[in-house]
Amino acid sequence: MRLAATIRNVVHTFGSLREVLAKANPPKSGDDLAGLSARSAVERVAARAVLAQVTLHELRQNPVVPYEQDELTRMVEHTLNEAAFRAVAHLTVGQFREWLLESTTTGEHIRSISAGLTPEMAAAVCKLMSNLDLMTVAAKCQVVVRANNTLGLPGRLSSRVQPNHPTDDVAGILYSMREGLSYGCGDAVIGVNPATDTAESTAEILTAIDAVLKKNAIPTQHCVLSHVTVQMRALDLGCPMDLMFQSLSGSEGGNRAFGISVALMDEAYDKMKRMGTARGPNFMYFETGQGSALSSAAHHGADQVTLEARCYGFARRYDPFLVNTVVGFIGPEYLEDGPQITRAGLEDHFMGKLLGLPMGCDACFTYHARMSQDELECLKVLLGAAGCTYLMSLPVGDDIMLNYQSTSYHDIPSVRRLLNKRPTPEFDAWVVERDIWDYEHNRPGENFGRPEAITPVRGNP
Amino acid sequence: MARTRELVAELRERLGGAAPQPPPAPLPRVPEPPVRVFPKRHEGSRYARETAAHTTALLGIGQVGTRYATDVVLQFQAELAVAHEAVATELPEDWAAKNGLLGLRSRVTHHREFLLRPDLGRRLDDLSLARLKMEAKHGVDVQPILADGLSAVACMQSGLELLASFTRACEARGLTVGTPVCARYARVWLEDEIGQTVKARVAAILLGERPGLGTGDGLSAYLVYEPAVGKTDGDRNMMSNIHARGTPPAVAGDRLAVLARAMVDQKRSGVSLELGHLVAELGDAASRHHRAPQVRERLVEVPT
Repeated sequence: MRLAATIRNVVHTFGSLREVLAKANPPKSGDDLAGLSARSAVERVAARAVLAQVTLHELRQNPVVPYEQDELTRMVEHTLNEAAFRAVAHLTVGQFREWLLESTTTGEHIRSISAGLTPEMAAAVCKLMSNLDLMTVAAKCQVVVRANNTLGLPGRLSSRVQPNHPTDDVAGILYSMREGLSYGCGDAVIGVNPATDTAESTAEILTAIDAVLKKNAIPTQHCVLSHVTVQMRALDLGCPMDLMFQSLSGSEGGNRAFGISVALMDEAYDKMKRMGTARGPNFMYFETGQGSALSSAAHHGADQVTLEARCYGFARRYDPFLVNTVVGFIGPEYLEDGPQITRAGLEDHFMGKLLGLPMGCDACFTYHARMSQDELECLKVLLGAAGCTYLMSLPVGDDIMLNYQSTSYHDIPSVRRLLNKRPTPEFDAWVVERDIWDYEHNRPGENFGRPEAITPVRGNP
Repeated sequence: MARTRELVAELRERLGGAAPQPPPAPLPRVPEPPVRVFPKRHEGSRYARETAAHTTALLGIGQVGTRYATDVVLQFQAELAVAHEAVATELPEDWAAKNGLLGLRSRVTHHREFLLRPDLGRRLDDLSLARLKMEAKHGVDVQPILADGLSAVACMQSGLELLASFTRACEARGLTVGTPVCARYARVWLEDEIGQTVKARVAAILLGERPGLGTGDGLSAYLVYEPAVGKTDGDRNMMSNIHARGTPPAVAGDRLAVLARAMVDQKRSGVSLELGHLVAELGDAASRHHRAPQVRERLVEVPT
């Protein structure tokens, strides 16, 4: 395989497929930080020209982190669906892009080859696509999953209520949750990032949320996003737990920094299968985000888009109910500004969907990144139009514990109305019954934004 | 072609031909919408008042259609502006010297680089390293480091007060305190090289924290035992939200000194530092990653 392309009589050569993949990326501050970016816009195009000629078969033979050094690489290689792989192995990345975009290629077709794709293939084709390409293909991909709700059906846009509190004040969490529900948010999950990472605290929060959901017969799922080992201990305490959460990274070393491995996640999955309280069959929840491997110096010279795709390769082992990329959370050293965060959100959503995951996105920025609120609001609409499974939701988008800006309780119904989307069918029935939304006139119902309409449980607000 | 022309003619006829669009029906005087004020809780709903006792999240703010009331928008934008301003403000080069501190600087050369290159913000530039070697006391128990971090505003507002209370509290606990230094373009891990250079037993960096909405004035403190380049986050103990509405600097200085004393006594820091017996003295600082709740202030006032 000769990795070279000529542009205006200048020959650009590349030392490895990993280098080609990195240099084909649109500009990202994280790739600059890792010293992997193309040196010029022309070199970037040359890398893409080379990449367009590489076959999917060659990509499988050249994972960005070597087989011998990384358990994720080995796991992907051992579990790849060979029949699905054979259907597309001969295509070059350029041809694969065209096949995905072709009108005759349906979501059903894409789903039938998903399990034969390695993360590197999803990342490679992503690099040849514009933002609108990414949206066009992602919108075709339908990934339907079920816990208590059925997520990912056409015409649906779901949301997580994220009622975080800096000291885990349960009353404060429940007030925020009830307000979110009254805006029709929360059909993906009521998910709390705890300030205290203990089993007792996790169990206390889950038990309190569970009581309010049961009392009001709200069809959704709950989750406390503590470390997976903490959640396993919380299960032993006998608390309800609909979804089990963990952050994932794209290499064995990155996951070690997160305190996890494939074996540990297998164990967690088995335990949750026995003890989880959602109906299923899907009950795992994963979060990812470009830059996580580099931040623990476990990137093996690979770019952050490819490493992000490898998180999805890991996630897919567990048929998750939710996966989302926390796209602007880590900070400007990985995604510097509005265009980079927007691009990354669309890339991650596309790659996740292509690999068969129910992909959501935490469209967000930290206050030291150069993204405006207007740009962030645009990204939410772009994601909705691309068929994103779910977005986050918080009061005014402000996370008072984690100090960053995300999607708000008001944004979800706004985007839904713009794009003519509804929550999951089960949750929708509840929304109609509680008169939160008036579908006859497609406008807010009597109880829209009225948290009082959700009955508190005695002893807790 | 003929068929297209027919269709166009038909369509034009149906859409009103050459006639202008009919004017909209006149609207009677639009009633003034109800007042929706944030965050004067007493004017808001009962729900808004109840929530205020438990959370600073912006709850009970109502809605206009599916969007925010104007008053909420203005408050939000003001809070966003405060956060952005805190990030953008730089510590003046002579600020350290003017306040009697030994001025140091990381390898970062300008503000954008500071945001994009955390690796450079964790190491001293050559000149600073030389100055530190020459001018700072060596072999102390605690090396205090004041720094800009992600909010020079916080550093300038309450940094000196925190530094003074921390120093006093350390000395009161029998700890020797090093030459006070102030670092520009500093990341948390810069304390490793500074502490290692002066051979301090504990390095304590007090720096402006990543601002939240409307809160650019918070300081965080990170302490590490036997500072050395290569220490990780698991080796540190930290305290955040040090400001008038969270933990006031005077109180924080005292608690941080308790932490420093415990590190020197137990010869370790981070995850393995045993703090169970110090809970009463430490208050909020007893939890390794404690975040105090904020108080939400109304930022926009207009004469009525």
